[in-house]
Amino acid sequence: MATILEIKHVSKFFGGLAANSDVSFSLEEGMIMGMIGPNGAGKTTLFNCITGYYPPSRGEVIFKAQKISGLEPDRICRLGMVRTWQKVRPLAKLSVIDNVMVGALCRTNSLKTARELAMEQLKVVRMENKPDFPAGGLPIGEQKKLEVARALATQPQLLLLDEVMGGLNPAESDEIIQLILEIKKGGGITQMVIEHDMKAIMRISDRIVVINSGEKLAEGTPQEIVNNPEVVRAYLGDFHA
Amino acid sequence: MKSTLALIRTTAGTSPVATALGLAVLAGLFLFPSFVKSPYTLHIMILFFLSTIQGEAWNIIGGYTGQYSIGHVAYFGAGAYTTMILMQYKQIPPWYGMLAGIGVALVVSLIIGSICFRLQGPYFVLASIAVAEIMRLSAINLKDITNGAEGILITEIPVFKIGNTVVTDFLSKVPFYYVGLVITLVTILVTWMVQNSKLGYYFQAIREDQDAAHSLGISLPLYKNIALALSAVFTSLSGSFYAIYIGYIDPSTVLNLDISVQIVLVCIIGGIGTIWGPVIGAMVLVPLSEALRSDLIAGMIFKTGLTSEGSAIGTFLKENLAHAHALIYGILVVVVILFMPDGVLGWVKKLTVQKGRG
Repeated sequence: MATILEIKHVSKFFGGLAANSDVSFSLEEGMIMGMIGPNGAGKTTLFNCITGYYPPSRGEVIFKAQKISGLEPDRICRLGMVRTWQKVRPLAKLSVIDNVMVGALCRTNSLKTARELAMEQLKVVRMENKPDFPAGGLPIGEQKKLEVARALATQPQLLLLDEVMGGLNPAESDEIIQLILEIKKGGGITQMVIEHDMKAIMRISDRIVVINSGEKLAEGTPQEIVNNPEVVRAYLGDFHA
Repeated sequence: MKSTLALIRTTAGTSPVATALGLAVLAGLFLFPSFVKSPYTLHIMILFFLSTIQGEAWNIIGGYTGQYSIGHVAYFGAGAYTTMILMQYKQIPPWYGMLAGIGVALVVSLIIGSICFRLQGPYFVLASIAVAEIMRLSAINLKDITNGAEGILITEIPVFKIGNTVVTDFLSKVPFYYVGLVITLVTILVTWMVQNSKLGYYFQAIREDQDAAHSLGISLPLYKNIALALSAVFTSLSGSFYAIYIGYIDPSTVLNLDISVQIVLVCIIGGIGTIWGPVIGAMVLVPLSEALRSDLIAGMIFKTGLTSEGSAIGTFLKENLAHAHALIYGILVVVVILFMPDGVLGWVKKLTVQKGRG
């Protein structure tokens, strides 16, 4: 298996505050990498560094053997890496299908082709029944699915999901878990998932990295992570360790 | 409830009644000067065309892309000045001058865009106003080129010939009417084409959520600059057209901030981000500003008998109402924002939807 993404000694400082310091790990093609950590640990900052929203203060990000740190997010998207947002960002006044079409237009100039591609992705997330509904009026669960469909429409090789299950009820979360597993089964798309729902992340991840206070605390298979005393300490405090 | 894009997609071209109605209006507009001879009516129509062109042009950057430029007078002035300077000092006929004006406006827009698009939201608005003011002050002070505050007056427009056939000598308002009509139709057509293309989707994505658009592969500087350049081209055309039509320009008429505001008002009142919004906005604003200018409103108040022309209030109204257009526009904007946040067009659509349901 080839390495698709390599994060090498990435640090991000905001003034004197280190949101990430010296984080390194890599992703193999086709795997699902889970990322966990307490609130404020720097998971989303790391996502922003990887996808081009912030240039890392130190270190570099290598995607498909190419250095991408310092590139703009739109370039990175066209190279084949796309992210979703923890706080959903629907194009509120546009319809569901138009939202996904904006993603699809990344690979085509034809509206007709884009519409077909978008419809396919809507079927993947099971929202093909309401293409003309305005995205801003959808319930949160469907907005999250729309984020995924829109990201998939850009035809990525690497999909970064930032808390897609946050704020969802158990049934909706389960649907997202199925969706993530289906994407994996479909092949061709590597995924990195930030999640707080431990049960979910243990179920879907091939490997997990734990971020705490901006640093990588541990990395390993789900089994190794639950048995790691340092991880337990970070989550539950010294008393339980 | 459907989103705007879906609504337009379902109404575009499908309904034969709408198509027939559209063609009838189009034919009516082309035949209009054969029936209506009054120069004043033609003048109002020409002002309506000007306003529509400006509104549609602003709509591309403001309505679709969500970048509220309040400095569009910069492009209007660029078109007006380029055309007039070339005609006055180089004897270049205005139809070539218009093209040169477009070129100048494009350059100006790319300079403004590459600087101002580093800013977002209110900061972009302020920067756009600042750039327009720089243009106005330059026009006042670069006396050698622009003739400063005295402005440029042309007395004669060269005869427009194709080969040896005289097409028009521009002596009446009729040729101006047709030029205005054609530019208006082209502007609306281009807006329609933009809306139904990748550009339209990308512009609206940037308007709805810049960061999301960025993450979906949309280069923000590229597409914002394309939107601004498109907008500048048609605003500049309206400026050239205005200059030739009126025959006189100076910094306080063609580079006045009032024009920028009026361009934005046309869109806000009609309906932002829609093809027909600016048309409706121009239909409301142009007659209103004419009514204010010609004391029509004061006259109407006297007729109702609320106050007489000779009384103190009457004299006050008569003297000041014509100058109160800014006040009346202000009130109009407040009313529109309070009661029809999507403009007149959005309000009408909402009414018809409600009727359809009830």
